[in-house]
Amino acid sequence: MRQEAGGRSRAFYRKRQSIIAAMNAIKPLPDLLISQIAAGEVVERPASVLKELVENSLDAGARQIDVELMEGGVRSIRVADDGGGIAKTELALALARHATSKIASLIDLERVASYGFRGEALASIASVARLTLTSRTIDAAHGWRIDAADLSLAPAALGGGTVIEAADLYFNTPARRKFLKQEATEYAHCDEVFRRMALARPDVAFSLAHNRSVKHRLAATDLASRARELLGEEFFAQTRVVEASAGELRLTGFAALPAYSRPGRDAQYFFVNGRFVRDKLLSHAVRQAYADILHGNRHPAYVLFLELDPAGVDVNVHPAKIEVRFREARGVHQFVFHALQRLLAAPLEQLTTVPAAAYATASGWQRQTSLAVNEPALAAFYDFVSAAGGPGIPQTEVDQETSRPEGSGLAPLGYAPYEVPHPEGSGPAPLGYALAQLHGIFILAQNAAGLVLVDMHAAHERILYERLKDALADTPPTQQLLIPALFAASETEIATAEEYAAALTRLGFEMAPAGPRELAVRAVPALLANGSIVELVRALLSDLKDFPESQVIEARRNELLATMACHGAVRARRSLSIPEMNALLRQMEATDRADQCNHGRPTWTQMTLADLDRLFLRGR
Amino acid sequence: MLLFKGPRNQILEPLQSVCGIVEKRHTLPILSNVLMEKVDGRLTLLATDIEIQIKTGAATTGSETAALTVGARKLQDILRSLPEDSEVNLTFEEKRLQVKAGRSRFNLQTLPAEDFPRMAQNETGQTRIKVTQKQFKRLLALVQYAMAQQDIRYYLNGLLLVVKGNEMRMVATDGHRLAYASEALGEQQQAIEVILPRKTVLELSRQLSDNEEELEIVLTPTQALFRFGAIEFISKLIDGKFPDYERVIPQGHGNLITLSRTGLLQSLLRAKILTNEKTPGVRLVFTPGSLKIISNNTEREEAQEEIEIDYQGNSIDVGFNVNYMLDVLNNVSADEVECRLGDASSSALFSLPGNESFKYVVMPMRI
Repeated sequence: MRQEAGGRSRAFYRKRQSIIAAMNAIKPLPDLLISQIAAGEVVERPASVLKELVENSLDAGARQIDVELMEGGVRSIRVADDGGGIAKTELALALARHATSKIASLIDLERVASYGFRGEALASIASVARLTLTSRTIDAAHGWRIDAADLSLAPAALGGGTVIEAADLYFNTPARRKFLKQEATEYAHCDEVFRRMALARPDVAFSLAHNRSVKHRLAATDLASRARELLGEEFFAQTRVVEASAGELRLTGFAALPAYSRPGRDAQYFFVNGRFVRDKLLSHAVRQAYADILHGNRHPAYVLFLELDPAGVDVNVHPAKIEVRFREARGVHQFVFHALQRLLAAPLEQLTTVPAAAYATASGWQRQTSLAVNEPALAAFYDFVSAAGGPGIPQTEVDQETSRPEGSGLAPLGYAPYEVPHPEGSGPAPLGYALAQLHGIFILAQNAAGLVLVDMHAAHERILYERLKDALADTPPTQQLLIPALFAASETEIATAEEYAAALTRLGFEMAPAGPRELAVRAVPALLANGSIVELVRALLSDLKDFPESQVIEARRNELLATMACHGAVRARRSLSIPEMNALLRQMEATDRADQCNHGRPTWTQMTLADLDRLFLRGR
Repeated sequence: MLLFKGPRNQILEPLQSVCGIVEKRHTLPILSNVLMEKVDGRLTLLATDIEIQIKTGAATTGSETAALTVGARKLQDILRSLPEDSEVNLTFEEKRLQVKAGRSRFNLQTLPAEDFPRMAQNETGQTRIKVTQKQFKRLLALVQYAMAQQDIRYYLNGLLLVVKGNEMRMVATDGHRLAYASEALGEQQQAIEVILPRKTVLELSRQLSDNEEELEIVLTPTQALFRFGAIEFISKLIDGKFPDYERVIPQGHGNLITLSRTGLLQSLLRAKILTNEKTPGVRLVFTPGSLKIISNNTEREEAQEEIEIDYQGNSIDVGFNVNYMLDVLNNVSADEVECRLGDASSSALFSLPGNESFKYVVMPMRI
């Protein structure tokens, strides 16, 4: 019976194969089809057309880019720039496949600094949409328009630069058109692409219109105000300035504190040499930097720029260039992780002042804020504050003191600056001094800005947790196993175990292959000896394979320490005396990551005098 | 229909001996019940958690036949809170169990006895041994603390019971240390090895008493049956391959040190105070004539204990989880213990002087 079935299927395949053979003698594909196939990779949806066109404009040196969309970009996408323009003689060539002005040789490709380089975008778009290109170089008498369908040239009126219009996307490939989503969704994708490009190049002015209504109008400015415009005040009030460099690597931008975490990955912008990427390695590094302070299912928000030697990164990995490959993957991972971790962990005590602007939010109570960790970062912070004062003001002329936004200080409300008494005779403390305890749960304290509320259990928990982690920083004790834990391992797992033997020993593991497809674990870190060893080792090996600087063990260990800290911390309803409360506040200031408890919840919040005034309708 | 009439303790005691295994939370409601059957003037009580089944009886009067199941914990709580000398009356009427004592009256709902899951008794390929309750209980106490708890190597979450020739052996290990104890039996027996589940071991050692009364054990490849007093205790077995314990027990360790059990125990207890809660390691430094016990914690506090010993070998510096050592010292009753050591990375063997029937192996901890 089975044999018969098998026989039938063999006959079926033979027949099908003969049909395919008869149909398909090998022959070169027509040009249009090649472009359409390429378009499948590059032009996935209107947003990808927009990305290619804006990148072209940026590569042409534009200072002003205006985007107009109709019906989510499906009906038309029009990108106008004031860039260099294309000479009349080159217009037809610009639309040809594999024609580009951006690179000329393989050496150029290895050091590519422009957004595009494949020479495919316009040809691909032209193969699936009605494309017209109008351009005028600076020295031409007037502009010329070329229609991609028949390459016919016609004179056109244009001030300078280039206007590209891609209309009726997928008019000739109905199969693709079916995959398009509703107008609002496609527009949302376009908007997202627009935001990325606008964040990547704050020095270029952008505008975006959809169905003839203007959605964004962004003047050329610096990154801080561009990011502020696009991500909102709330993001900004909760952010720390990133500024780190090591050798040829440089990381700049803004990373939001855990208090401004998001349920999704929507506010994550990572640029490598100005190019927006969604890279596994980089997101892993960022995620790990936030690991200890962010609640499990929340995602960090950030705008980060990684700059490195173009030769150190291969951007020609993905057709849309959304993924990159680093030559020194491990070094990059380490650098990004440590730069962010250091920044996010910095204890409060290092705050030289509490920047008044940090409290100047438009509405509501100020959630906890801590900013500007060290002097350079502080300067960077004031840079953005001054830039926020208005575009076009040269920053050097702005006095740092006067650049604070109006109404953010205390003086305009008519208070004489109140001197917070220092019971210990020491200088002013960021978290101020305790006034009282509320219901045995919260500590009320006053600092220069106003009232500080501290969740004492959460705060104490973090203090104990950090102390436990510090204490365990040296080599961990290992428990040798009387009965080795044997498990069936894949060849990759065995290879990883051998490759990273030294790292595993350092982590407290001892393992060796016990057979062709079996690993034997002979020693484990004593702290984790009572858990499920096999599961732990598997997780560790799979992480080590992708990320040599795996933190799996540290993460597991920290879970345990977090539980210990939670049990060791003072419980709610425990009454504390004023000196005890002050001691807790001072410890918080000296503790890394004191802004969040182990579970990522905030430990303290500030209510400024302005907030309190607002509650009582004072001063208006 | 009268089920039971008599003094409170006559029904409470048997009930307590079967109810210990009833789990508090269930997906199958009837499992929180106890089965009560009255046949020929005798009341049988039976409870199960599917893995273990305990049956016992209580004397009663009357010749009616009845069977029902009722919430075990509730009935036990009611009986326990009644005055000790009260006369209790249990009657079964219209699917309800009425408990009467003095002026108290309780009506409990029941579930039908036919629905109660009962273990089939398996009598094939059996090994029958008879020991005293005391003997068995002592042996359990010598090894049970070394059982694993919720290990994914499920066969470690229990105790290996071996009958071989005229000897009975028990072995337990959690992968870090192993305890072994044996006892001679009166006569040759059919050889068998079974793994008793952890819960069975704990429940047995709770219920067995320290007397010379007989315990009958019937072992089959899938089931173990224990009969003692009025109780019949049936347990399923863990189906798995227990590690080869004989290979794990070191043979060639040359360094033998005899120590006072209580002296070592007291020193270790003191040293433990300054260890880390989750990794309670202590260092044992053996030098000729002296043993130093050193511990320190993450706050860099340090404890040092010194014991005089009769030892002339090389000095050895080895770390152990202090709890693993306290376990063995707490559970053996001899005045002295023997410790055999290899080097800092090999296991240590503890035994009792002049006694081959107990061995305890523990792996070191690198501190």
